[in-house]
Amino acid sequence: MSDPLLSFDRVAITLGGREILSPASLTVARGEFVCVIGPSGCGKTTLLRAAAGFVAPSAGVVSRGGQAVRGPSREVAFVFQDYGRALLPWRTVAANVSLALEAAQVPAGKRPERIAQVLQTVGLSAHAGKFPAQLSGGMQQRVQIARCLAQQPQLMMMDEPFGALDAMTRESLQDELARLVRDEGLTVMFVTHDLEEAIYLGDRVVALRANPTRDKPSLAALIDVDIPRPRSQLETREHPEFLRLRRELYGFLGHH
Amino acid sequence: MDFWGTTDMPALLHLRPFAFPAVLLAALEWWARTAGANSDALAPPTLAAQAFARALRDGSLLSATAFTLGSAAIGLALASVLALGLGTMLGLSRRAASASFLSVEVLRPIPSVALIPLAMLVYGFGLRMEISVISFACFWPMLVLTQAAVQQVEPRLLEVSMALQLGSWARFVKLVLPAIVPRLFIALRLGVAIALVVAVTVEIAANPNGMGYALMIAQQSLDPALMLAWLFWIGLVGWCTNALALRLQSAVARRMGDLA
Repeated sequence: MSDPLLSFDRVAITLGGREILSPASLTVARGEFVCVIGPSGCGKTTLLRAAAGFVAPSAGVVSRGGQAVRGPSREVAFVFQDYGRALLPWRTVAANVSLALEAAQVPAGKRPERIAQVLQTVGLSAHAGKFPAQLSGGMQQRVQIARCLAQQPQLMMMDEPFGALDAMTRESLQDELARLVRDEGLTVMFVTHDLEEAIYLGDRVVALRANPTRDKPSLAALIDVDIPRPRSQLETREHPEFLRLRRELYGFLGHH
Repeated sequence: MDFWGTTDMPALLHLRPFAFPAVLLAALEWWARTAGANSDALAPPTLAAQAFARALRDGSLLSATAFTLGSAAIGLALASVLALGLGTMLGLSRRAASASFLSVEVLRPIPSVALIPLAMLVYGFGLRMEISVISFACFWPMLVLTQAAVQQVEPRLLEVSMALQLGSWARFVKLVLPAIVPRLFIALRLGVAIALVVAVTVEIAANPNGMGYALMIAQQSLDPALMLAWLFWIGLVGWCTNALALRLQSAVARRMGDLA
């Protein structure tokens, strides 16, 4: 917590006259993996979009590296849930990744090497020449992650990235992401509605509440996950701490 | 087996669509050589064919066709560029769209032909006058189609371009343009049809050039054979350009449809 990369200082967001997020303060340290959970409509995605500079908070300040966030930045990559819509269907896998490099004005000569490197990282080297429609959902989401990596961001915002995938694919992508984040030293904010996913991946879990009131603000709980890494799908999910956190957080997802 | 011999004479089957026009032409030929021999309006098709051959030999057919097609093409190109630029702006910005809505809806329904007097005052006779009227006519439907196409670009892609900090020109070239190409070609096909109709109309009404003018001159010099020859030729040229535009559009739709 000594080196906060991202901080929310009493950030509130009102959209269309409705308070989506009541004043919430939170810091994310460099290299930390923070998961955000909560029932639908609790403002998880909105919080992420505010952090990425897509929406301006109605009150409070989001700052990154000590500077107030005023708009999107290439330092912040955003992985959308609907990979099918976030990829350019007329570009190949490699060309989709290239878009991030073109945006960053990386000289054309240096692009192929960087593209090959990130595709290798996400295990798509063999599919560089394919179009998104020729790939499975899990592979398409990997393309999006590769494009975000090519951006060389400080921060990776992930909005329910594995929500639309089948359980098997989701588990393998969770493990790949955990490895990737460790290898690349990324800082991640990860929104999910899957409690176990949040505990499995996160260093900390932020639980948000829907329909905040004065005595029940949006930020319902902030919980440290003290489960050793590397984690594994079998052992971690049977770890006593995992089960304890699962029980503790269960109520926040609307199971009352 | 029916009258046309579908089972053992399939070649004749292809001729079936031509049977009615052939009968009609023969009837016209017979009528024009007997009862209507003194008609100033209609001539026998054989004489029209001879007039056509003469116009082809003396070069007037080609030069008039080149003028009409040339001005239609230039007018269409001008309209396309303007419609693409403005349509993209209006499609991307809701503010620009609402600010321009009234102007577009007032200007769009003006019949392009009603602009001929103004165009004549501004440009006089000739190519520029004709091009300006053609551009005006093609511009509006292409603007509306381009705007609609841009509005239907996946909003997520625009967010991706925001997250990647793509510049506005790069966003247009790399994202918006490829996304709307199939729809642009629909607009282009529509524009081709309009451009040719308006070009001939302007030539008939005002501009002493091109196929429309040649048609008028044949009529005014009481040469129904030549007039019919031009009428036939204008119809054929129109059919060919529209068929080409349609093929281009469906080729693009096939290519891009696989990906988009």
